[in-house]
Amino acid sequence: MANTDKQVNELIKREYEHGFVTEIESDTFEPGLSEDVIRRLSAIKNEPEFMLEWRLKAYRRWLEMDEPEWAHVHYPKVDYDSISYYSAPKKKEDMLQSLDEVDPELLRTYEKLGIPLHERAALAGVAVDAVFDSVSVATTFKEPLAKAGVIFCSISEAVKEHPELVKKYLGSVVPAGDNFFACLNAATFSDGTFVYVPKGVRCPMELSTYFRINAANTGQFERTLIIAEAGSYVSYLEGCTAPMRDENQLHAAVVELVAMDDAQIKYSTVQNWYPGDENGKGGIYNFVTKRGACIGKNSKISWTQVETGSAITWKYPSCILRGENSVGEFYSVALTNNYQQADTGTKMIHLGKNTSSTIISKGISAGHSSNAYRGLVKFGPGAEGARNFTQCDSLLIGDKSAAHTFPYIETKNKGAILEHEATTSKVSDEQMFLCRQRGIDPEQAVSMIVNGFCREVFKELPMEFAVEAGKLLEVSLEGSVG
Amino acid sequence: MIAAPRLSSSFLQASGHALPEPLMALRKQRGTALIDMPLPTRKTENWKYSSRYLKLDDELATGLPAAGKTGPELAVAGYHVVFHNGVMVPEASDYPDVDGITIQRFADLDDDEALELAERLDNTLDSNAVQLARLNSARFEDGLYIRLKADAVLDQPLYIVCETDASTPGSAYPRIYVDAGRHSKITLVEEYITSGAESAMVNTVTEFALSEGAQVTSIRLALDGDNVQHIGATGARLKNNARFESHTVGFGGPLRRHDLQVRLEGPGAECVLNGVVVTQDKQHYDNHTTIEHVAPHCNSDETYRNIAADESHAIFNGRIHIHPDAQKSNANMSNKNLLLSTGAEIDTKPELEIYADDVKCAHGATVGQLNADSIFYLVSRGIGRREARALLSMAFINELVERIPVEPVKETVQARLNLFFEQTFNEA
Repeated sequence: MANTDKQVNELIKREYEHGFVTEIESDTFEPGLSEDVIRRLSAIKNEPEFMLEWRLKAYRRWLEMDEPEWAHVHYPKVDYDSISYYSAPKKKEDMLQSLDEVDPELLRTYEKLGIPLHERAALAGVAVDAVFDSVSVATTFKEPLAKAGVIFCSISEAVKEHPELVKKYLGSVVPAGDNFFACLNAATFSDGTFVYVPKGVRCPMELSTYFRINAANTGQFERTLIIAEAGSYVSYLEGCTAPMRDENQLHAAVVELVAMDDAQIKYSTVQNWYPGDENGKGGIYNFVTKRGACIGKNSKISWTQVETGSAITWKYPSCILRGENSVGEFYSVALTNNYQQADTGTKMIHLGKNTSSTIISKGISAGHSSNAYRGLVKFGPGAEGARNFTQCDSLLIGDKSAAHTFPYIETKNKGAILEHEATTSKVSDEQMFLCRQRGIDPEQAVSMIVNGFCREVFKELPMEFAVEAGKLLEVSLEGSVG
Repeated sequence: MIAAPRLSSSFLQASGHALPEPLMALRKQRGTALIDMPLPTRKTENWKYSSRYLKLDDELATGLPAAGKTGPELAVAGYHVVFHNGVMVPEASDYPDVDGITIQRFADLDDDEALELAERLDNTLDSNAVQLARLNSARFEDGLYIRLKADAVLDQPLYIVCETDASTPGSAYPRIYVDAGRHSKITLVEEYITSGAESAMVNTVTEFALSEGAQVTSIRLALDGDNVQHIGATGARLKNNARFESHTVGFGGPLRRHDLQVRLEGPGAECVLNGVVVTQDKQHYDNHTTIEHVAPHCNSDETYRNIAADESHAIFNGRIHIHPDAQKSNANMSNKNLLLSTGAEIDTKPELEIYADDVKCAHGATVGQLNADSIFYLVSRGIGRREARALLSMAFINELVERIPVEPVKETVQARLNLFFEQTFNEA
């Protein structure tokens, strides 16, 4: 077994491959947060008055809030005055007319990350909004999408071009004062993605946003808003990376989804922020609020996430199932290695009749990491005939890792049915023996077992992502098997 | 931020009863620590669902007088000890004088014994988790100290009946400490009952220290009246190969709270925890259990079932904590709930906290209703609808009741449950 241990340990030690820094001139605010900073931010973005008001209101609320401490994570307190709240690559003109005007250095960065922004080179059928530090630098396939009636642009653009939609929906799912980090985001969000799919439209291609943190000592606060009108369908992917730095960086995003009658939103994330080095130094604090509202009848929101990055993850993509027969789904693989800490899960709030939800969560902890599933399933008094199935399994690799489960179940309706299962186990000696006996080396064997463990979730991912996720898992596991 | 409500100082007044000096000193010291204790609120994690039922009015601070009455008539024959408002009634008690087994009330301990006990009290409980049980340590007026020497076996179950006599408003603080020596064996039945109709609070603490190979079976029946708030804590610490078996049966009330904490401290230790709760009307019941796997090679098996009818509220919170060196731990937890009415609420949280990799842990929780097909099956065979529902509800928990190892207790519980279901379904 000792030999196996060694080989496996080597496997886990592969390095973070997106850790490079792009040398690019950027406009960065002085660190610190105040009403002035927010006014400046709003002015730079040419925002209408209502946005500024909204931000300031949120900021004043935030000042009165305390940072939450209930999550099963430990970290030194973030000094919110040492963070810069805005950083954007310098550009010559105010508005980019086409991709050709994007700084070639930026394009190269995205190419290096495997996200070619040139449309002809881009993956067929995936439109990308690329967010670099605080701003969206490019959005591809805008025209073909516009033809279908789909609005896909950065949220700053949406604030200006479609203020009526933004005004109506921004903060409707995650109110500005929802929680400490969401409130901070409401005050300081700098960019993000806006998607609007009109009635009856099936979005012709996958939409995606690629987030990249580049500048040091900055926080990234982006906000995503997706609205699917009656009978529409949209699939959205999100990916993220950051350079390797010794300091911790804060990422506090908010994602809001709105689904009307018969609409479907599929939201997939492959989160690969820099997780810190093998001694737990550096890495991104990923404190994110994601929530979808199934407002209409028969609507459906599906969250799929593969979480391998970040020093600390604090994230609970949730569904509010208000419409009759609406469906919420949550598929998650969260892998932690070295000194990473994750406290992640979901909330399924059943309010409407015959609503149903499925939760499949797979946590894998290796090294000295700690991985917690925290979930809430709630059946309101009106949730007649509601149904939930939850399965959360943990896999432990190495005897220094930890796995936790904190499921909250609240039922107020006798017509509701709920099942919850959870197991915790390790990669067993028998499994390893069986594989090795058949000539599979330990590294491959572990990777195979882990992939099998996550299968249920991977099959929910769009194809390109599923391949990436599988590989990512292998990389992240390197050196952790023992 | 609104300041959290604090424990009224009237709860910390000196108690009238004389106890051996070391216990008086302990009580005083525990009382001092509770000055200005914040009371749990909705924001207090382990009281999240129950704080709104907790009503510690000043009138409850008064210690209920122990009248030295003969106590309630016992339905079962056998060894028994009767407590009246937290004070033992020797005339009504009948317990054996066997070699190797000492059963004493606190008031009768000599100074050495009292000192030994004072050092042990509270050592099985995590005082941060049982905030309100700490009140017992500051207020107990008497108690029962049971010691079993190595290999001592009590041949029959010992019944401990704790009557809260609420003829006047106030509170009572029964207390039990069991020290089970190596390979000793005892079965204990605690029964909490009420007489009188004024509002009252009973705050109980029962502790078990199990030495190597000791076997303790604890049966706890919470049968208090609807005028009594019941806050109870049970703690157990197990050394090598010890075995602790707990059966709790609870009927709802204005506030019912039981904290059960088990620490498996020696390899080979094992615990089995079974619990049944039924609530109706606007009743409440909250069970919080914690199993700490401190040593390797320990097993735990936990099964709790709740049934909530009418507008009642049942809560289960089970936590399994596997410590870093507790390899080869085996832990299973199951919590099933039956919700009989839409006005009722069930909240459950089966938690796992695991710091060792070579373990097998599983938990499951379900919430549901009576199966329509099953009801139809019974009705189609000529059984009335109400009867069918009562039958199926009983079946849901009877599996656990059947596991109660003391026959007369099992029968009493079954009779009470049948009565409960008759009431519940006749009104429906």
